[in-house]
Amino acid sequence: MTVTRKIWLALLTVGLLTASGMAAGHKASDSFLYLDSGPTELRIDVALRDLSLLTNIDSNGNRQISGQELRQARPEITRTVESALTFSNGSGNCDLAGRKWGISEHSDGVYSAARYAIHCPDGEPPRALQYNLLFEQDALHRGLVSLDYDGQKRLTVLGPDSRTLDLAGIDTPGYFGVFTTFVYEGVIHLLIGLDHILFLLVLVIPATLSTAKTQASSGQSRALRGRLLELAGIITAFTVAHSITLALAALDIVSLPIAWVETVIALSIGLAALNVAWPILGRKTWKLAFGFGLVHGFGFASVLGDLTSGVSGLAVALAGFNLGVELGQLALLVVGFPVLYYLGKNRMYQKGAVPVMLAGIGAISLFWVVQRAPLF
Amino acid sequence: MICFNKTPRGRIFRISGPAFRFPALRGRVFWLIAALVPFQLQAAPGAIITDFGDDQMLAELPRSVPEIPRDHESAEEAENHLQRLIILARTSGDPRYLGYAQTLINNWSEENLTDRLRVLRATLRQSLQQFDSARSDLERVISSSSDRQQRIQARLTLANLELVQGRYKEAEQHCQALQSTYPGLIAQSCLASVQARTAAPETAYRNLASQLAESINRQPADSTSRLWTEGTLGDIAAQAGLPEATVHWQRVVKATPDDLYVRAQLADWHLVRGHFERVLTLTRGFEAVDTLAVIRAIAMKRMDHPGSHELNNRLQQRFEEASWRGALLHARDVARFELDIENQTQKALRLATENWESQREPLDTRLLLRSALAADDKVQYQRVRDWLKEQGQSDARYPEFKQ
Repeated sequence: MTVTRKIWLALLTVGLLTASGMAAGHKASDSFLYLDSGPTELRIDVALRDLSLLTNIDSNGNRQISGQELRQARPEITRTVESALTFSNGSGNCDLAGRKWGISEHSDGVYSAARYAIHCPDGEPPRALQYNLLFEQDALHRGLVSLDYDGQKRLTVLGPDSRTLDLAGIDTPGYFGVFTTFVYEGVIHLLIGLDHILFLLVLVIPATLSTAKTQASSGQSRALRGRLLELAGIITAFTVAHSITLALAALDIVSLPIAWVETVIALSIGLAALNVAWPILGRKTWKLAFGFGLVHGFGFASVLGDLTSGVSGLAVALAGFNLGVELGQLALLVVGFPVLYYLGKNRMYQKGAVPVMLAGIGAISLFWVVQRAPLF
Repeated sequence: MICFNKTPRGRIFRISGPAFRFPALRGRVFWLIAALVPFQLQAAPGAIITDFGDDQMLAELPRSVPEIPRDHESAEEAENHLQRLIILARTSGDPRYLGYAQTLINNWSEENLTDRLRVLRATLRQSLQQFDSARSDLERVISSSSDRQQRIQARLTLANLELVQGRYKEAEQHCQALQSTYPGLIAQSCLASVQARTAAPETAYRNLASQLAESINRQPADSTSRLWTEGTLGDIAAQAGLPEATVHWQRVVKATPDDLYVRAQLADWHLVRGHFERVLTLTRGFEAVDTLAVIRAIAMKRMDHPGSHELNNRLQQRFEEASWRGALLHARDVARFELDIENQTQKALRLATENWESQREPLDTRLLLRSALAADDKVQYQRVRDWLKEQGQSDARYPEFKQ
C-alpha cells in the first residue's frame, strides 16, 4: 500500500501500532489455491491471521499463535476451510480427502497449508469450484488460483463478485489461444516494422545481382539454385540469431537499454547497405545477417515484453511470436524475391535502381540513428 | 521469529535465468523445447511443513482486533468503527484494515448513508485509488449536506485529492472555499501547497512559515493543524530544495511516529543525499510498509549492507504475490523497486506511467522522469516536462529538469 497524505480535522488519539518484530510485510488478505493433476488435487494456503477471524486459533488469547495452539485448532481450521469450498461436476458435489496438513510461508507470514484429493461421484475431475472463504469478514479478500493441468497453466482470482470458477478452462485462452495470438502479433510486428523490412531487403539485394562468374559459367537454372541457396543461408542466419537474442531478452537473461538497441538496429541497416557497394564487412552476407540478427532480436523482445505482461505462458507466447516473425519474413520473400530476381536481369536495375535504393536506405538509416540515439 | 528451513520459492510472472540450460541449443530446436518446458517456476508454492515445533511462535496477531460489524450497528457506531479501521490502515500501512472497512461500508445501502459515512467512504475509496467515486461522494456532501463539519472535512479531503492528482485549479477552488468557511492554518497550508506546485515554492514556503509563527504567537494552535502545517512546510521546502525540510518533517515524526507519509518523505530526503544510516534508523521496524521498505532496500543496496539481499528477496515475493492478485495499490513502490533495485527499466517505466495516470505528487512525477531517463524514453519524458511547464511546476528533486 503506497503511503499518501490524509488528514482528520477531529482530534484523534490513535493507539500506536508499532512493528514489534514484523518480519513479514503487509499485504491484502489472499488465500492461495493450487489445482493440479486433472484437477484431482488441491493445495490451499490460508493465512493464520485470516483464520483468526474465523476460528479460535489463539486459544490463550495472547495475540500469538504457537505451534501447539495451531495443532489444537487443526480440526476447526480444516472444517472451516473445507466448508467454504465446493467442487462439483455433472454428477454432483465432490468430496475432499485430506492428504497432508501443515504450514507454509508467504510474503506476509505463516499460512495453514493443506493438500487434498478431490473425489467426485462419477470418478471424473470436477468442472467447477465455488469459493466462499472470508468474504463476509473482508470484502477485499481474494482467492488466488493457480491451475496446472491439461497441458496449461493459468493464474486467476476469485472475489466476492466472482466466487465460482469454471475448471473446464474455457474462460481464459489456453496455450493454443496464446500461441495463435502471438503468431499474429509476430507477423504484424514484422510487417509494420519498416526497419526490419529494410534490413531484409538489403540482405537480399546481393543475391539478386548477377555476378560475372554466374553469368559466364552456368545456365539460368543453376544460377537461380545457387542464389536461392545463398538466400536461404542468409535468412537462416538472421533467423537463428534473432531467435537467440529474442529468447535471452524475453526470459530476462540479458537486458539491454532499448534506445541503444534501436539505434544499433538503425545503424545496421546503413552498414548493410554500405556493405553491398563496398564490402567493408566482408562478402559473407550470412555472417553479417547473423551478427546484426542478434541485435534485431533485442528489438523484437521489447515489443514482446509490452505484449506479454500478465500473460501466463511466456514460452508459448515467445514461440508463437517468433514463428509469426518468420512467417512475415517468408511472406515478404515469397512476394519480393521473384520481383527483384526478375529485375536483376535488367542492367538498369543493377546500375540505377540498386544504387538509388541503397542510398535511400542508407539515408533513412542515418536519419533513424540521429533520431533514436539516446543523447538528450 | 519464524525458524524453519526456507525452501526456494517460485516466481510468479518472470522466469528466472538458470531454469534453462540454453546455449547448447540453437534456433528452432530451442523453440521446440522452450514451448514444451512446463512452467514449474511460476507460482510454485513452498513445501508444506509438518514438523513445526509446539513451542514455535508462528504468528503474531495485531493488537487491534477488527470487531466484526454487528447486525444492528447504529449509524454513529458504524461511523466510529469505520474511522478507526481507516486510521489503523493508515498508521500501520496494513491493507487488511481497508478490507474490513470495505466490509463494513458494504452493509450500508446508499439511501441509509449518513454524511459522515459518505465522507469516510470517500476516504476509503481514495486509499483504494478509486478516485472518481471518492470525488463524487465528496462533491455530494459539499453540495447537499446540512452538517457544517462534514462539509468542511469533505472540502479538505477533496482539495487534498485534487492536489494528489495534480488538478491544481480544482484544488485551489476548494482551498479558497475552505479559507472562507474554515479559515486558519489548514486552509493556508492548502493554498500554499497549490502555490508551491504551480508557481513559486520559496514564496509559498516563506508565507506559510510566517503564518505558522504568527498563529503560534497569537494562541497555541491545536496540534492537528500545527503538525499538518509542519508537514506541508516540509514538503514545500523539499520542493524548493531548502534544507529546512528536515526540521519540519522531524517535528512531525517525533510527535506522530506513525505518520508514515512524513516518515517516508524524510527517509527519501536522506536517501537522495546518501545519509544511509539515517534512512536505516527511520525505516527500522517499518519493513512491512511497502513505501518505507523500498526506501530501506535502496539504502541497503547502496551501502552494500549484508541484509540487503534478504530484504530484496522478501520484497520481490511480496510484489509478485500482489501482482498475481492484480490490483496494484502500490504501483509507485513497485516501480521504484524495479528501477533502483532490479534495474528493470522498462518494467519500472510501465508501472511509473500507470501510477502517474492517477497520482501526480512530486515523488510520482520524479519517479516517472527518472524511469523515462533510465529507459531512454524521450516521448514519455517530454510528456511529463510539457505537463510541468503547463502547471508552472519546478522541483529541486526532479532530475536534470530545467524549466
